Amino acid sequence: MTIELTINGEVRTVTADPRTALLDVLRDSCRLTGAKAVCREGFCGACTVLVDGEAVPSCLRPIGMLDGRSIVTIEGLAHFETPNPVQQAFIDHDVVQCGMCFPGMVMTLTAFLETNPAPSRGEVKAALSGNICRCTGYERIVDAVLSIQDMRKVSGR
Amino acid sequence: MNAVTDLASVVMDLPRRDAQDKLTGRTRYTIDNIGADMLHAVQVRSDVASARILEIDCSKALAMKGVRAIVTHADAPGLHGIGVADHPLFASDLIRYHGEPIAAIAADTLEIAHAAARAVLVRTELLPAVLTMAEALDEHAPLIHPDWQRYELLKEGAPRAGNVAWEAHVTRGDTDAAFARPDVTVVDDCFRVGRQSHVPFEPRCAIASYEDGRFHIQCSTQVPWTVRNVTAKVLGAAASRVRVTVPAVGGGFGLKFDCTIEPVAALLARKTGKTVSLCNSREEEFLSCLCRENAEVRIRSAVTPDGEIVGREATVLMDCGAYGGEQIFLSTMTAHTLGGNYRLGAVKLNSRAVYTNTPPNGAFRACNGVYNTFFLERHTDNICAAIGMDPMEFRKQNVLGDGDIGATGQVFQGDVLRPMLERMEAISAGAERRDPADGRLYGRATTVGTWFVFVGPSAATINLNADGSATLVTSGVEIGSGTMVQSLPQIVAGILGIHPADVIVKTADTDASGRDLGVGGGRTTVSIGSASKMAAEKIREQILEIASEMLQTPPSGLALRGGRVEIAGRPGSGMTIAAVVQRAEELFGPMSGTGNFTAPGVPSLPGCAAGHFIDAIDIPIFTVHDCEVAVDPDTGHVDVLSYRVVQDVGVAINPRAIRSQIQGGVTQGLGYALHENITIDEHGSMEQSGFEHYLLPLAQDVLPVEIVLHEGAPSIGPLGAKGAGEIPILNVGATIACAVARATGRPVAELPLTPPRVLEMIQGHAKALDFAHISPVWHANLARR
Ligand code: FES
Ligand code: FES
Repeated sequence: MTIELTINGEVRTVTADPRTALLDVLRDSCRLTGAKAVCREGFCGACTVLVDGEAVPSCLRPIGMLDGRSIVTIEGLAHFETPNPVQQAFIDHDVVQCGMCFPGMVMTLTAFLETNPAPSRGEVKAALSGNICRCTGYERIVDAVLSIQDMRKVSGR
Repeated sequence: MNAVTDLASVVMDLPRRDAQDKLTGRTRYTIDNIGADMLHAVQVRSDVASARILEIDCSKALAMKGVRAIVTHADAPGLHGIGVADHPLFASDLIRYHGEPIAAIAADTLEIAHAAARAVLVRTELLPAVLTMAEALDEHAPLIHPDWQRYELLKEGAPRAGNVAWEAHVTRGDTDAAFARPDVTVVDDCFRVGRQSHVPFEPRCAIASYEDGRFHIQCSTQVPWTVRNVTAKVLGAAASRVRVTVPAVGGGFGLKFDCTIEPVAALLARKTGKTVSLCNSREEEFLSCLCRENAEVRIRSAVTPDGEIVGREATVLMDCGAYGGEQIFLSTMTAHTLGGNYRLGAVKLNSRAVYTNTPPNGAFRACNGVYNTFFLERHTDNICAAIGMDPMEFRKQNVLGDGDIGATGQVFQGDVLRPMLERMEAISAGAERRDPADGRLYGRATTVGTWFVFVGPSAATINLNADGSATLVTSGVEIGSGTMVQSLPQIVAGILGIHPADVIVKTADTDASGRDLGVGGGRTTVSIGSASKMAAEKIREQILEIASEMLQTPPSGLALRGGRVEIAGRPGSGMTIAAVVQRAEELFGPMSGTGNFTAPGVPSLPGCAAGHFIDAIDIPIFTVHDCEVAVDPDTGHVDVLSYRVVQDVGVAINPRAIRSQIQGGVTQGLGYALHENITIDEHGSMEQSGFEHYLLPLAQDVLPVEIVLHEGAPSIGPLGAKGAGEIPILNVGATIACAVARATGRPVAELPLTPPRVLEMIQGHAKALDFAHISPVWHANLARR
């Protein structure tokens, strides 16, 4: 089956079994390896991308259902030299460890802050219920998110 | 001269240089380098726990289109192991655990490889499976390794017998006399823990090729040199024919401290002549996880009315699974963990690594220490209850201090634990008690822990570049802890008077860097750090010598600062380091320095330790944890209300990074204490194979840990540093267990404290543990050949 979709602003035609997970198309066909395949069951969030602006686990999205949709991956979120405020806050607070969960964390939190630009600590934690990190123990991630002052920059991407 | 390196030039909250790429998805872990331009491999694994292999028929699989090679035991007959070479790459005549690799297939695509794996026919004759340590120790138990006496011994001197893979003993003093004293109270306990799975987000994976007659393995490992040596051993190749390189590693936690799938990829690469990738699926990663082992203990102590521990005897059983692996080494650690923390009169410890027909266990952050600290601290609280002494007073009175001897007779230096306990007491006294007073049971506990830095050989080379930057070449690997991007460049930069950003840190390539024991055991900052420091100091001397001539000033009057050699006290004077390098090139060529390090060896009492890999711990590290809990009497749910850590760090080279390690380590410990548990079903397979059933701590489960870094304890580490990343998990299980025991008034004897287990305890239905397979007579548990 041939599917046409937009990935990071570029229209692409993908020929694949419609049941193929978006994650595999991104990683294997497009070689966009920022989204990580960790659990493949929707629990960990490491594969999170934006589909029409909504943060979703790409391991659970069959490509056949995405015809005409717009996908943004971590590679398309911001140029690496101009990180978005979420990424910048994580750099400034030195929260990264092994880093495997962070592309997904960034996608989830970027989408979250667009709808809730001034969250409480509890809301940030609730927003992370689908993003697991094995290394950091989360609290510093939450501290970093709460430090973000200029939300407009997040939504202005 | 060079009143070296003022600490202030090294200590800083240097941010990570790898953060930007990790946050923008640009970092390529090994798993991200697997692509369509290589073959894809899968392993054929057994679906029974114990059987004799009668026939392996690969003909149908081999005939499938796109299948490039199949390998079995016949292709890699060598055995490897730690202490004992008992482990083949693929099952040969016997299958010893559910999930054991039998063959591996390389094919054009993963789908074809999987299809071919299903087409491999393995004819077996089922054998009885020994799934628990109690069964394994039964005198009529079948032998899991019938040939155990014929195995090559890689280290001599340990008692072994049948299903007991290894024993490590401590015998110091006369415990019989201690227990016979009329004035002592004898406290006797049994405790038990299950397995913990590491769940690194990047599974174990390897990409291998065969180039110019040599293997090149790129892999996600903590131990490039172990991968090199084990690959050579099982493949029967010279170690010099194996090159291992390691990109960023997506988490390790000890799981990647062993060589596992790497030789399989190498074997297939040689057989096909092509690049081969092999990567565990998440399910395989779970089912073949070299978990923190399940363990059991019987411990008893003789204590005087005023709280002196005059005698202690304990027997610990550690489940190796089907092959000895790390547990053989870790049996040593019982002397320093279960036998640690406190001054002991007479002591006898027996640490037994036991074979079972279950997936092999391995090393997990503060391995052995986590459960032995739980056993010890709960036992300590039981002692306090039995003699009516306050647990804090008891600890302050008995913790090891300056000049005290440990279990194996090593003399400890400095009073560290007692002042740390006092600091914790002061912090807790100043904090508000968080009892929710809502009907839940409130408890609080403080525990102590002793861990160590696993030192050992490391090498470093530094090349000073023409632009004044330095390239540091070691076998270090960045597994997430930050040592490669923070403490190492900070140490080197501080000594050379340059900015850490100007220290290029090369990640492990066994063709470029010297041998190393690996990244783990909190050793990177200490061992690799010491070797790097030595290399940097050699360069520093060269710089000063040349500059001294150029500036007509004795080296003692010079300072290295801001990338310059200056005349001391005259900022901006002198010249750039680049100018010194230029002069050096005219005189003798480019500047470089090498450094090395190994365990200095601390004396212990001769004759009191047997079967040990190390008799004393070179760099002890101490920690004090404190927590408050609320236990719901209706559901058994444990809520952690506060968590505090006072950790001995020697010198904190990067305080912010250490705090991150503590927050992360405590969180992993909370998982272990409360819900992470791998269980084995009646077929010998793990019952948790994914995130749905193996519960990791989520953001909403955790709390900010209150942290105090305790500086100033003696350390032979560079600039007085100690490893800080391992120990944070050490006594989380112990602290939660002690707090829950105090909250509920019940003797907590098992982890994790899942709601059903806690509820059973509260309702008084939990049976007291009393292991029939660990004799109360200490001597009766010793291996007899
Ligand atoms: S890989 Fe998609 S949620 Fe875990
Ligand atoms: S940083 Fe390793 S999983 Fe989050």
